[in-house]
Amino acid sequence: MLEVSNLTAGYGDIPVLRDVSLKVAPGEILLIGGENGAGKSTLLRAIAGFNRPSAGSVKLDGVELSGLPPEKIARDGLRLVLDGHRVFPELSVFDNLRMGTAARPGDRAGFGRAIEEIYAVFPILKDKSKAMARDLSGGQQQILALGQAFMARPKVLLCDEPSIGLAQALLPPILAFLRKWAESGTAVVIVEQHLAVTRPYTDRAMIIQRGQVALSCASSELDEKLEALQQARAQAYAAG
Amino acid sequence: MAVTAKAIAAPSGTTSAPASKSFSSDFPQLLMGIVLIAMTGLGPSMLGNSYWEHTFQLVNIYVAVAVFQNFLFVDAGQKSFGQGAILGLGAYGFAIAVGLNGLPVIIGLLAGIVAATAGGLLFALPALRVQGFHLGFVTMSAGIVFPQLLVQFDWLTRGINGISVKLPGLTDPLLFGLSPMTLIVTLFPILALLLHFVLRQSPLGRRMRIAAESPEAARSLGIRPGFMRSLAFVIASVGTGISGVLYVPAVGFISPQGFLVDLSFVFFFAVVVGGRGQLLGPIIGIWIIHVLPTIILVQLIDYRLLVYGILTLLVVILFPDGVVGTFESWRRKRSQVGGGERGFRLDRFTDAIRSMVPVTGKPSDVPIIEVRNATKKFGQVVAIEDVDMVVRPGEIHGLVGANGSGKTSLLNVLTGLSRLNSGTYSFNGRDVTRVPADAIAKLGLGRTFQTPRMFPSLSVWDNIRIGLDARDEALEPEFATLAQSLDRDFANDSPALLSHGQRRLVEVVRVVFKQSSILLFDEPAAGLSPEERAEFADLVRLLSRTLGKAIILVEHDLDLVWGIADTITVLETGRVVASGAPAVLAKDPAVQHLFVGGRHA
Amino acid sequence: MLSEIIIIVVRGIAIGSIFSIIAMSFNVVHNATGIFNFAQGNIFILGGFGAYLLANQVGLEIWLPVLILVTLAIGALVALQGWITLLPLHSSVEQDSWLISTVSVSVIIGAVLLLTLGPFPFNVQGPVPGFRLMGSKTPGAYGLAIAAMVAWYLVLRFFLRRTFTGLAISALSQDFDAARAAGLPVRRLQIAAFAISGLVAGSVGFMVAPMVSVSPDAGMRYVLNGFVAAVVGGIGNNTGTLIGGPLVGVIAMLTAYKIGGAYQDLASLLVLVTILMLWPQGLFGRAAARRV
Repeated sequence: MLEVSNLTAGYGDIPVLRDVSLKVAPGEILLIGGENGAGKSTLLRAIAGFNRPSAGSVKLDGVELSGLPPEKIARDGLRLVLDGHRVFPELSVFDNLRMGTAARPGDRAGFGRAIEEIYAVFPILKDKSKAMARDLSGGQQQILALGQAFMARPKVLLCDEPSIGLAQALLPPILAFLRKWAESGTAVVIVEQHLAVTRPYTDRAMIIQRGQVALSCASSELDEKLEALQQARAQAYAAG
Repeated sequence: MAVTAKAIAAPSGTTSAPASKSFSSDFPQLLMGIVLIAMTGLGPSMLGNSYWEHTFQLVNIYVAVAVFQNFLFVDAGQKSFGQGAILGLGAYGFAIAVGLNGLPVIIGLLAGIVAATAGGLLFALPALRVQGFHLGFVTMSAGIVFPQLLVQFDWLTRGINGISVKLPGLTDPLLFGLSPMTLIVTLFPILALLLHFVLRQSPLGRRMRIAAESPEAARSLGIRPGFMRSLAFVIASVGTGISGVLYVPAVGFISPQGFLVDLSFVFFFAVVVGGRGQLLGPIIGIWIIHVLPTIILVQLIDYRLLVYGILTLLVVILFPDGVVGTFESWRRKRSQVGGGERGFRLDRFTDAIRSMVPVTGKPSDVPIIEVRNATKKFGQVVAIEDVDMVVRPGEIHGLVGANGSGKTSLLNVLTGLSRLNSGTYSFNGRDVTRVPADAIAKLGLGRTFQTPRMFPSLSVWDNIRIGLDARDEALEPEFATLAQSLDRDFANDSPALLSHGQRRLVEVVRVVFKQSSILLFDEPAAGLSPEERAEFADLVRLLSRTLGKAIILVEHDLDLVWGIADTITVLETGRVVASGAPAVLAKDPAVQHLFVGGRHA
Repeated sequence: MLSEIIIIVVRGIAIGSIFSIIAMSFNVVHNATGIFNFAQGNIFILGGFGAYLLANQVGLEIWLPVLILVTLAIGALVALQGWITLLPLHSSVEQDSWLISTVSVSVIIGAVLLLTLGPFPFNVQGPVPGFRLMGSKTPGAYGLAIAAMVAWYLVLRFFLRRTFTGLAISALSQDFDAARAAGLPVRRLQIAAFAISGLVAGSVGFMVAPMVSVSPDAGMRYVLNGFVAAVVGGIGNNTGTLIGGPLVGVIAMLTAYKIGGAYQDLASLLVLVTILMLWPQGLFGRAAARRV
């Protein structure tokens, strides 16, 4: 169980996020939406230890994580997949997957099983296992980045904009994979702008605007609530 | 020089109270420095102790060199590990002219200064291209090669035999047992320290520090960082060269062995151990690094290198601010003022604008910014393609788009930080397609940065004042009155205590003072609270409607943009997908993907 | 004439191999941390000091185990230096404190050498026999230097591309944030990189001691030329140093032959400034900047 309460954070001295709280249970997917610059990435980075929150707490199964360095948080079972399909470009696909085990040292048997599983879901990774990651397409790199996180078998997975730089058709298989992954008992947070495509795969949704939670609901209610939000805005803009 | 007199006079009133709330402790440090140099320089002669007299003659020459190293390292941000070679050039220039060729002392002095300055310019040359450890290696290498060359050019330098120079007139006592030499080598480091202090109070010194701390902010204020670096090297070299000239009669004999690279390290380490950027730092540093091991622990002379290596390492790890710097940061913590609600408020600024006569008539139709068919590529990657953009005086122009849509690239083109591959850019009717950032800034473009550029070594008022420093014309009377009151209230406030929103506002006031006909705000609303956003929106309207400034607003907060912009340009993957009035654009399908829950194309 | 040129070139390449090796040891640390270790020249000399103290004029059966011991000791020492250097830094290079601390460590090592040996250079005799090149007697260390460059290049290549720790260090240089997100133990890997740079520089200092005038101030020469080799090859690019080092070495030898030995360092300085002014990325830097 990931519990974030009253988090205020930013980069440098700029408080991008104000007073954000959220909870994600194992097996559950939370979708976080919002416009560019609303603070979604900052939220994930603050949870994962990349920027130190100025207030609030981040707890994983009751244990406080905030203040720890990101590499320690990863080894404690909370894994962030950064946006922009970031992999290690000059490492082979297989070695990129191997690096994933850094967050789970000493589990050789687990690595063997996990790699077979990921190869089964995304055979392309097996086919290209010897290729350099830089030679992969953006979509393949995103799959690789997720695969690397999968090797660590984290309790919580944070996934920042998996669609960036990808053809939209590539998103559904990735989301389906995340769904299946969550069902094995992982708590998943997805930050995504393509809400319509992503929503059906998720359980709950949250919209962030200007660093604050603008709405939070079950995913099934999201379309309806967003429509209301849009209407209000359209009227305001029309009024000038 | 009026500035100087005022600057010196102003803080002197506060020095009587030890718990003064002065932001900078430069002035008391200057006074202490002068007293310490005068005591050690004159004291021994007056007491008739010739051993200490000679010792401190050399020490105070070293102090002068370290003062210039401190200036170069901190105020200009140039890490030189080769100042020993510059000192040597000054010394050899003088010794060759006077000692070997019997030329007059004044010619020798000139020869020393010229030689040292030439060396400094050679250092500045690579500094135009590279910084940081590259420059460190180049200057250190010069420090290594210098004594080798002194040995090689023995027809000029007498090689390892060295040169001895005797100037008897200088060492005869004049009065109170003081010789001219004693007076000169006491006076010179004091003058060096004074120069450092005066430079810091001057617009030039402030501009140099900005160039050192943030070259892109400097360029946005019309400063050429390369020029500032070269100038700093010249100033430091002239000072170090004179120190080299004084070194010759103080020691009486010079040889290549006296200018090994270790000497350069002594000066650099002295600055670090004393406290980087502290006026008093070089004095305390030289005492610890040089005086302590070579004189006090004279029986351990062989351990000198070891002692100063270890001392420096310990200081860097344990007291990164150095000896004086550690005291200074305690003082600052205890006595810093500012911050809180009154840390910086906008009302006085907006009141001043409201009191001005608004620009009349319809906004001019002559564009201030006109970009046509602009394309910018980075290798194979197209950042912006075939972009047109026109901004007129008084217009508020919103620039929106997703991350990676090309906003930042367009911004860099507009500010002159990067050049177009094709297309044209004209500013106020003038073609500026190939004009650098500092020149565009001088033409009247002012900008803020995503992260406000605050300079922690300057007070809140000085952080605003660097906008005034960039100005040629006199301020409007309303602003002049405002500037006076800001000076009064914020001259001793610490920018460290300001909230992010306050820093943002300080930056805006700075660029308005900078004489800008167009203001470019880069994501100004990020990190502002709802109240601060509203305040900021009002300010933008006021700047546009009353002062007639053109405004370009790059912003993610769509409500803010739609609320205040006259025109909005939407970028997507480097192209303009829509441009027009907000009400029209709100319904444009090409824009919907920007809104949360909106349809993606 | 021709034979003279061949001798100059071969000796230049041998000396340049040392520069190349020092450049590689720079690169290992720089890629993992962003730090440039100014003490690397004196660490190299420390290896030569080990050879002088413990393995002067001995047979191969003593020389080899002592080489391993000295190398390990220097590796441990540089790991300690790395730990100290990284103490005030949170992640990598956000301050310039490392510039000062590595220079001061260099001064400390030089001072220790001065205190134990005095200021004069001394000669070491190694167990590798000399050979004749175009009729001129050439010390075995020259061959050893070239062999060491090739060997360390291959070992580093294998280490950085095949072993988990090596791959992790490479990953650190390719994407620091992604490496932290993946849970790589950043600080431990950075210290390991320091240790490896110590193994590289220390072992070669030991091996080539017979061709180096081991003295407290000799380290400066090697740190300068090693840096020039790294800049010529493109900083961070080990393959580039294979050309950068020998190039600088041959230029130094040619300078010594044509103008005079004392101008070698001046020639290197001029090469350095020229490259930085014209091609700051190095001659081979741009194409392979992120390769390890």
